Amino acid sequence: MRSFSYERATSIEAALQAAARNVDARFIAGGTNLLDLMKLEIEKPSHLIDVNGLGLDTIEKSPEGGLRIGALVRNTDLAADETVRRDYGLLSRALVAGASGQLRNKATTAGNLLQRTRCPYFYDPNQACNKRQPGSGCSAFGGVTRQLGVIGVSEACLATQPSDMAVAMRALDAVVETRGASGAKRSIPIGDFHRLPGDTPHIETELEPGELITGVVLPPPVGGKQIYRKVRDRASYAFALVSVGAVIHPDGSGQVAVGGVAHKPWRVEDAETELSKGARAMSAVLMEGARPTEQNKFKISLVERTLEAVLKEARE
Amino acid sequence: MIVDGRRINSCLTLAVMHEGDAITTIEGLGEPGNLHPIQAAFIKHDGFQCGYCTPGQICSSLAVIEEINANIPSHVTKNLTDQVAITAAEIRERMSGNLCRCGAYSNILDAISDVAGVKA
Repeated sequence: MRSFSYERATSIEAALQAAARNVDARFIAGGTNLLDLMKLEIEKPSHLIDVNGLGLDTIEKSPEGGLRIGALVRNTDLAADETVRRDYGLLSRALVAGASGQLRNKATTAGNLLQRTRCPYFYDPNQACNKRQPGSGCSAFGGVTRQLGVIGVSEACLATQPSDMAVAMRALDAVVETRGASGAKRSIPIGDFHRLPGDTPHIETELEPGELITGVVLPPPVGGKQIYRKVRDRASYAFALVSVGAVIHPDGSGQVAVGGVAHKPWRVEDAETELSKGARAMSAVLMEGARPTEQNKFKISLVERTLEAVLKEARE
Repeated sequence: MIVDGRRINSCLTLAVMHEGDAITTIEGLGEPGNLHPIQAAFIKHDGFQCGYCTPGQICSSLAVIEEINANIPSHVTKNLTDQVAITAAEIRERMSGNLCRCGAYSNILDAISDVAGVKA
């Protein structure tokens, strides 16, 4: 790990000012992903701004009847929250499907959205990676791609966004609230928050330099059967090969997002009109334009089968 | 280790971020001749081999029992709105973040179940 300086911010304004003073600074909250990457010298901040003292750790009703989740609410507390369990069960389910108890006790709502890919070529500094070092190439091409992305991929990057929570947030139409370097407030719909890799896979979100996530807002409860189904190589403590987060209504309509397949939680609203015709019809539209490799083309049929299992569970 | 009553990974946090926090490691649980019940249970059930992961397994075990009692759900919790039950399946799922490369898992589960009063 490289040496770095550290400070505790005592207000949002102070945190924003500290970030504006140092372009190499990073905000640190849970730190469960950032510190791991700093040890590997994939993240090399010269300065850490600890934002744990900013408050931002409450879950409150929003004026619209939804829920406002503070950026620093820990994954454990969000999953265990009574209102979330009752009205946004999909979110609770996605959270407890991810990581381990120890990690969920530290990991925050904002940090979870910002976690980096687990592509093995990103994690190995001896491999070429356009995300780690722009312009260096991508060793995943011609390499081991079983875990990697199948849709929305580019010539520069096959990585996936690994968050389970973000898949639930996408299906639930969450909105990310931020404060920019100037202090200005901004609301970013979750569907616009994560970017596709294109030729700039190192730019993963719409956040500007020095912009701070302050919270995530969920719309009023939509009811329905809320299901998160995660398929992985072992039963616990593993990233998804494919996951499906869904709200299925009694009339057969619903909202569906998929994890493990793309550089962002994958949702195609137009595909949802096919939902009442079944998993095959919907996944054909959802996964249209996919460009899998020989090693990960199984994910296309796995999406359909996982969705079929979700629809079956919703009927029970 | 257990920080302010919650288990976390000591390798993924910075000491400087914990000024004033209450931190419990394996050294704070018991001592020779006066073992914590969970330490005694690990010996009784042979819940380790090389011992490398044992301090983490034991600290995590204690916190797992408390997390279940605090009604925090897990991936195997059947109904999110019911009180979470202490079962072997709940303990096994919640301990998945503690790897034991010797493979003492079944004996670790027996030790925790013994202390929690669950049939493994």
